[in-house]
Amino acid sequence: MMNLTIKNLTKYYNKQCVLSIDAFTIERSSFLGIIGPNGAGKSTLVKMLAGLETPSSGEILYEKSLISPPIYKSMTMVFQKPYLLRTSVFNNIAYPLKIRKLNPKAIDKKVNHLIVEMGIESIKNQNAWTLSGGEAQKVALARAIIFEPALLILDEPTANIDPASILTMEKTINKFYQQSAPSIIIVTHNIQQAKRLCKEIAFMHQGKIVEFGKSSDMIHHPSNPLTKNFIEGEIIL
Amino acid sequence: MEAILDGFKKAIELLFSLDAEIYHIILLSIFVSLASTLISTLFAVPIGIIVGTKNFPLKRLVVRFIYTMMSLPPVIVGLVVFLFIARRGPFGYLGIVFTPTAMIIAQIILVTPIITGIVYNGTKEKGEEIKRLAKTLGANRLETLFLLIKELRINIFTGIVSGYGRAISEVGAVMIVGGNIRGHTRVMTTAIAMLRNQGDYAMAIAIGLVLLFLSFIINSLLYNFQQGD
Repeated sequence: MMNLTIKNLTKYYNKQCVLSIDAFTIERSSFLGIIGPNGAGKSTLVKMLAGLETPSSGEILYEKSLISPPIYKSMTMVFQKPYLLRTSVFNNIAYPLKIRKLNPKAIDKKVNHLIVEMGIESIKNQNAWTLSGGEAQKVALARAIIFEPALLILDEPTANIDPASILTMEKTINKFYQQSAPSIIIVTHNIQQAKRLCKEIAFMHQGKIVEFGKSSDMIHHPSNPLTKNFIEGEIIL
Repeated sequence: MEAILDGFKKAIELLFSLDAEIYHIILLSIFVSLASTLISTLFAVPIGIIVGTKNFPLKRLVVRFIYTMMSLPPVIVGLVVFLFIARRGPFGYLGIVFTPTAMIIAQIILVTPIITGIVYNGTKEKGEEIKRLAKTLGANRLETLFLLIKELRINIFTGIVSGYGRAISEVGAVMIVGGNIRGHTRVMTTAIAMLRNQGDYAMAIAIGLVLLFLSFIINSLLYNFQQGD
């Protein structure tokens, strides 16, 4: 679990402001869904939270500290189109444990256990570059949770994959949340998915967090008209 | 046609002749080419990865320079290296002109840009993604570098094979800086050029076939190494 504090965060691309958040806190063991239309700044925000983009101004504090190597080691991010290593599924999932210097026996046990849990035994020894989209996402998720990160960031992890794979992914994410109580942030376009998984939802529009609240309240009784329009499926330009 | 058939016969005879001079030519060719490719790899792979993953001022110019160097004419390289290491040149005191060392230096200059360019191309395509993954999984700088090398291994080996191909088939530069001295700096390519001048086409073809056969063996070894995980 990890507490995150955002203070006066901005991001500019070519002098254009794409993100501006004055203050926002993500509590320990939060399960936050970030929703909003394309170009709202969701991906920019999570990339900055993952330390992949530098803010133009402002800061993000991880347990009251700025980002540093130990913090990088305790968090991870899964992308919509994940990069899988040019090796077997097993080696892909084992990689984070190898760089954390776990002994081979412990790695073997942990990876095999997760592979069985996620029902991907049949592809265990397959080259990861030959997998389908759904299989690749499952492997990317397994690789992300194998080292039990305190902060898990998911950027549209189930976009463009089949319903059965979405179900497995959601089950795995939920189980990981119940067992390890990490902080999870998920960017999704799927309102139903946000409702199924998240405890809180933040709605973003034009680089700002327009509304934030408990997921059931946000979905059933949004207070902001922009949120309401988005949830009801209206196109926001 | 007769010369080609004779060449085939002589190639087989040469390989089994146990002629010390022939073996010296073959071994020197392999040694000079492998040494220059190996030394070039040590420079070229990190340079290719750095140029492919880092943004810095004048990067475009550096990339264009690498591409230009990939098609450097060997005789020009040979001439420049010769002028530097010739007895009256700035590095003449080293006494390396007309030695295998001089041939290796000339080949390093020819091979390094080839490997760098090929590694750069692969890194440009996938490097950022690999670096991003390494960062999100908590890898440190050294682990990220190892991951980049491992993930880009196909590009790296393609670069090495191409570089080796350039080195083993090169004649102009090694002729100028090595001098094609019998028993000392004569390699297969310079021997072929000399035999052709002497009109001994069959022998020239025979050495050419040996050269081709050796290239096939070494490329096959590199290819198998590349395929293995």
